[in-house]
Amino acid sequence: MSRADPITTEVVRNFVISCAEDMNASLWRSAHSAIIYEGKDSAVALMDEHGNMLGQSTGVPLFIGAIDVCVRHVKDYYGDDIHQGDIFIMNDSYMQGTHLHDVTAIGPIFHDGELVGFGAARAHWNDIGAMDPGSTMSSQNIYQEGLRLGPTRIMSQGKPIREWYDHLKLNTRLEGATIGDLGAQVAAIRTGETRLGQLLSKIGSATYRASCQNIFEQARRMDKAAIAALPNGTWSREGYLDNDGVGDQPVKVALTLTVKDEDLIIDLTGTSGPVAGSINCGASQTESLLRLAYKTMISPEGAITGGAFETMHVVMPEECLFNAGEPSACEWYFTGLGLLADLFISCLSEAMPERSTAAHYGDSMVVGFFSVDPKRGQWISIEPTAGGWGGRADSDGESALINLVNGGFRNIPAEVMETKFPVRLEEFSMRPDSAGPGKNRGGLGVVRRYKMLEDNFGAIWFERSNTPAWGLNGGQEGQGPEINLTFPDGTVDHPLKMRASALPEGTIVECKTGGGGGNGDPMQRAFADVARDVRRGLVSPEAAKTYYGVVIQPDGTVDQSASVIR
Amino acid sequence: MSKNFRVSADIGGTFTDIVYQDVETGRCGAAKVLSTPDNPALAVLKGIDQVLGADGTLAFFVHGTTVGLNALLTRKGSKVALLTNENFRDIYTIQGNNRGEIFSIQWDKPEPLTPLEHTYTVAGRIAASGEELDPLRLSDLDTLVDACKREGYEAIAISLLFSFNNAAHEIAVRDYLAARLPDVQLVMSHEVSPEWREFERTSTTVTDAYLAPVVRKYIATLQNEMGDRLPDGGSLHVMESNGGVMTAATATQTPLQTLLSGPVGGAIGGKSLSKATGRGNLICVDMGGTSFDASLVIDGLPSTSNEALLEGLPLQMSVVDIHVIGAGGGSIAWKEAGAARVGPQSAGSKPGPVCYGLGGTEPVVSDANLVLGRLDGANFGGGEMILDRDAAAAALAELGDDFDMNAEEMAQGVIDIVNAKMADAIRTITIQRGIDPREFSLVAFGGAGPAQAAALAQELEIKEVIIPVHPGAFSAWGMLQTDVKHDFKETLYSFWDQIDVATLDTAFAGLEQRGRTFLGDEGITGDRVAFERAIDFRYFGQEYVLTIPIAEGAINMDKIRADFDAAYLRQYGHNSPENRVEMANVRLAALGRLERPANAPPLPVAARPERSRDVWFAGTAHPTRIIDRNALDDGDAVQGPAIIEEVTSTTLLPPGWTAQLIEGGHMTLTKEDAA
Repeated sequence: MSRADPITTEVVRNFVISCAEDMNASLWRSAHSAIIYEGKDSAVALMDEHGNMLGQSTGVPLFIGAIDVCVRHVKDYYGDDIHQGDIFIMNDSYMQGTHLHDVTAIGPIFHDGELVGFGAARAHWNDIGAMDPGSTMSSQNIYQEGLRLGPTRIMSQGKPIREWYDHLKLNTRLEGATIGDLGAQVAAIRTGETRLGQLLSKIGSATYRASCQNIFEQARRMDKAAIAALPNGTWSREGYLDNDGVGDQPVKVALTLTVKDEDLIIDLTGTSGPVAGSINCGASQTESLLRLAYKTMISPEGAITGGAFETMHVVMPEECLFNAGEPSACEWYFTGLGLLADLFISCLSEAMPERSTAAHYGDSMVVGFFSVDPKRGQWISIEPTAGGWGGRADSDGESALINLVNGGFRNIPAEVMETKFPVRLEEFSMRPDSAGPGKNRGGLGVVRRYKMLEDNFGAIWFERSNTPAWGLNGGQEGQGPEINLTFPDGTVDHPLKMRASALPEGTIVECKTGGGGGNGDPMQRAFADVARDVRRGLVSPEAAKTYYGVVIQPDGTVDQSASVIR
Repeated sequence: MSKNFRVSADIGGTFTDIVYQDVETGRCGAAKVLSTPDNPALAVLKGIDQVLGADGTLAFFVHGTTVGLNALLTRKGSKVALLTNENFRDIYTIQGNNRGEIFSIQWDKPEPLTPLEHTYTVAGRIAASGEELDPLRLSDLDTLVDACKREGYEAIAISLLFSFNNAAHEIAVRDYLAARLPDVQLVMSHEVSPEWREFERTSTTVTDAYLAPVVRKYIATLQNEMGDRLPDGGSLHVMESNGGVMTAATATQTPLQTLLSGPVGGAIGGKSLSKATGRGNLICVDMGGTSFDASLVIDGLPSTSNEALLEGLPLQMSVVDIHVIGAGGGSIAWKEAGAARVGPQSAGSKPGPVCYGLGGTEPVVSDANLVLGRLDGANFGGGEMILDRDAAAAALAELGDDFDMNAEEMAQGVIDIVNAKMADAIRTITIQRGIDPREFSLVAFGGAGPAQAAALAQELEIKEVIIPVHPGAFSAWGMLQTDVKHDFKETLYSFWDQIDVATLDTAFAGLEQRGRTFLGDEGITGDRVAFERAIDFRYFGQEYVLTIPIAEGAINMDKIRADFDAAYLRQYGHNSPENRVEMANVRLAALGRLERPANAPPLPVAARPERSRDVWFAGTAHPTRIIDRNALDDGDAVQGPAIIEEVTSTTLLPPGWTAQLIEGGHMTLTKEDAA
C-alpha cells in the first residue's frame, strides 16, 4: 500500500469536507422544491468504495448518519453489477431509518475505470404518494405512507431507465417537482464525481486511498481519546411520549449509557415496542440521532470525516419503537427522537459534568393552517415552533430556539404571514415562567397566538406534556406545552395533537411551547440574575420568590433580608 | 501653480492607505501610514502631507471608515431604547429562532444591541392592508419618556408592524417623543428600511440607532481636524456599503451605510479594473495579514445582495457581497491526533506570527512564507518591523519533528495546506452561484494577496492573475472609481399577473422623487442624476427572492417576467416559466455622477536596484531576482522565479510563470501551459 504524507492527508481531508459542501450547494442550487433549497431538508456525503464516510454536509442535523448505510444496501443488492454513471435510489424506512419522504440517491464514482468511492444525496420529497397529500398524520402502517423503495437502479451508465422514471411519476401528486428534485440529487453526485476526479488527476488513486486510511485513523484516535477521557460508569434514564398520535396511551422511552474504557454503549432496552401510530423509527435513523447527540456533547466544532462514531455501540431490542420493522408506520419518526436525545445527553452529562446540559422542550411542535377550497384558492402555511433549551453547567439555556433535530428553520414573520394568508399573528413573545428554575435556568418557550380571518383548516402536532424538559443537578423542570383553541361561539379546547380540522373565522389558536430544564439548585442562582430576569419580564416576582427564594421589591431591587441567603 | 488631486483614504485598524490622483493627468500614487485610532484624522493628514506636500490641494476627498463596524464589533455604540408593538416586545430578542451552529447545544444567539429591559411597547396595530386595526395609545409612551432621563438613552429605535404600508403610527410616536425628548435621536423603521419582515427591519433600525451618535461624532471630528485641507471648505465623502459614495451629511443621516465602508472599495476597484482591462469575470481576493476576503465581478458588475448579516444580526440594506474566507497569513499551524492542521484559529495581530517577536509561539502562514524566503524579513511593512526568521524556523522545525520534516519542508506543507483550503473555499462560492472559476481571472490585492496569487490560481486552474496598481492600497484606489449612490425601496406584494403598470409607475415615481430630493440636497442635479430600477421576484410558494433590474423606459410586463425566468435559470440551473410569480419589493438606486479624469498609469517613482536572494519553491531553494515594480515598463515581461516589490505589497512569481505590465499599469501573471 502506498503511503501518504501528513500534508497530502490534510489536503485530502480538507478536500472531502469542501467537496461535500459543493455537492450540497449543487443540490440546493438545482432543487425544485422550497423544502430543499430553503428548508435545507437534505444531506450529501462522499464515501470510499466500501461506503465508509469521508465527507458530509447536511442542512438537517439529524441526517448526520444513516447515509453510508445506503451504500452498503446498494452493494449488498447489486454486488459487482455497479457501473460508471449508474444512479440508485432508496427510501425504505426500515433500511435507512427515516420516513418515505426522504429519498436517497447513490452513485458510484470511478476514476480511470476503477471504483474509487460513492456519492450520495438525500432530499425530502414533498409527496411520495401517501394516503393524504404531503405528510399524513393518520397512517397506521407503512403501506399507507407511500411508495417504498429498496435499492433501485434508476439510471444505467448515465442513461435514465425510462420505466422507473415513469413509475415514480405515477406515484406522486407532484410529478414535475419530484423529477426535478431527483435531477438535483443526481447533479450533486455528479459534482462530487467531478471534484474527486480533479483531485485524483493530481495525486493519483493510490495516494488518495492512503490518505483516506490516515483520515479514518485520525478520527478513530480522536474518538477513542474523547471516550477514554470519560470516567467508566453506567447511567440510566427514562421518559414518556404523550401518545403515538392515534391512541392516548403514553409511550415509554428508556436508555442506559455505559462508558467502558474507549467504548460507549447505548442500550435502549426498556423502551416501548412498536406502536400503532406513525412515531416508529428505523434503526439507522435512531443511530443517526444518537450520533448527533454524541457530537453535540463531544465535538460540536469538528467536521464529520470518516471513522467517526466507531466507538459508539447501540443495543436495541428486536421489538422496539426505535427499531421499526414491517408493517410499522414511520411518518412522524422524529417525534420520539427529541426525547431520546435528551435522555442520552442527561446520561452523558453525568460523565461530563463540565458540559452538562438539561433537557430541551423536545419536539418540532408543528402548527399548520390551510385552505383546500378551490374557489377561494388553496394555500398552506406550516412551521415548527421554537422553545426553550436546557440550562448548562456554566450558563442559562437558550430561549425560543428551534429543536435539536431541526436546525435552520426560521419562524414565519407576522408581516409575511398576514400578507399572504388570512391568518393574523396576534402575539409572538417569550412565555414568562416557562423556563425550568435552576442556578443556570432553562431557556423560555414562546407564545404564538393566531386569529383566523376566514374559515380555515388547521393541524397541530405538539409533544412532551407527559415528560417536559427536566432539570439536572437540582435544577427543575420547565413548563410543558399548551394549546388553547377558542372558537367564535366561545367554546374552548386544548388539543396538543389535532388532525386537519375546521377553524371558523374568528377562531383564536394560542400555542405555547415548553421551556428548558434548569441546571443546578435555583436557590444558588445569583440575586442579580434573578432580579434581571424579573426586570426583563421572563420570571414573575411570584416565581422568583417560590423557586429562587428571592423577594423582588416594587422598584425591581432585591430585598436581601427577606430572601434566602446564598 | 499648486496641483489639484482627488484623494481617498482607507482607514484600517493598523494601516491607513492613501491613494491620490492628479486631476489633470489621471495618474495615481499610493502611500501607507500607521493608523491613529484615537483620532483617525491624524494619520490621514500625515499621509496627505507625505504624498502631496503642503502645496497640493484636494479637489475631492473620499474615505472608507471602520468606525461604525468597530463600534458594532466591540459593542461600543450608543445606548438605544427600542419601541415595538404590544405583544411583540420580544421579536428582536427571539430573532429568527434558527440555530447558528446545528451541531451545538451550547450555541447562543447573537447578543442583541439593546437588551429586553430597554424595550418598550405601545398598543395600536396596523393590518397587512395598511388599515388601522387598533388605534395608537400614546399614553403608553410615558413609561419610555420617564425612563429616558433615568437610563440616559441616546437614541430610540421605533419599529412598528406594517409601518412599510402605513407609517402613521411610527410618525405619531416620533412626534410625541420628539416633543418630550428633544435631545434624543429618533429613528423610524419605515425610513431606515421600508421593507417587510419585522425582525430583520427592527434589527436594521436598532443598528442604525446604535451607530448614529458614534458616526455623527466621528464625522464632525474628522471635518474639524482636517479643516481647510478639505475641498470646498469642508466637503467630505464617505464610502457606502452598496459600493457608492455619499456626502458627510448623508452619512450622518444614514450611519448604517458606513458599515462596510472599508472592504467594499476593493470590489468597486474590481469593477473598474474589469472595464479597463476588458475582462468581464473576476474573482477578487483581498488578503491582509490576518484576513482573507473574496468578492466576484460577473459580466462587469460586482455581485450584490439586499441583506447582510453582521455579528449574526441581519441588516436589510444593499451591500456588495464580501465573502470571508479565512484568517489569511495569521492562520495557525498545529497538530492533532497525528495530523497536521492549519487554521481556522488565527494568531491575529497580537500575539501575531512567531517572527514578529511579540510573544507568538505557534507558527502561522506568515512564518512559513518568511522561512521560504518569500517575505523580506529586513524590509517588512516598509522597514517598520524586523522579522525573526530563526524563531519562525525553530517553531516550524518543532512542529515538523513529529512528521520527520525539517523547517523548510514543514513551511512548504503549511503553505500547501492553506492554499488548497483557500482554493476549496473560493470554489464553493463559485459553485453556489453556478460559476466555473476557470472562466475567471483572479485579481489579488491586499498586503499578502499578490504573494499567494499564483499558487491559488494554479489550484483553481485559473489561467490569469491580475495584480492591479497599488495592490496593497487597492481598496482606497477603488474608492476613487465610484459615483454617489443611494438606495430606496418599498414593499409592494402582489402576484405579477394581478398588478398593473400604473401601480408600478406610481411606486417608482415616488421613489424617484425621494431620490431626486436626496441628491439635490447633496448638490447633484440635472443630467448628473440617473436611476436604476429593480423588482424582487420569486415563484409562488418560495421564500427568497431574486432582484431583477428593470430596463429604462416604459415597463414591459412580459419582458420582465421573461427576465426573471432567465435569471432564475442562470442562478439555479433550471426554471419554471409555467409557475405563477410573486413580487415582494420595488427598489430604486439613485445615482449621482461625479466628475473624474480617465485613469492613467501610476505616477512614476524611482525604482530600487535589482537584488537577489534564495527563495524556496516546491522543496528547492532557487536564486531569485528581486525586482522593483517601478522598474518595469508597459509590455515588459518577467520570467519566474522572481519577486516583484513595490511600496504596498510583494508579488511572488514562481518558476514557469510570466509577469507582464498591461494597460493602466496593471500586471498579469500567466503560466506556460505544460501541455
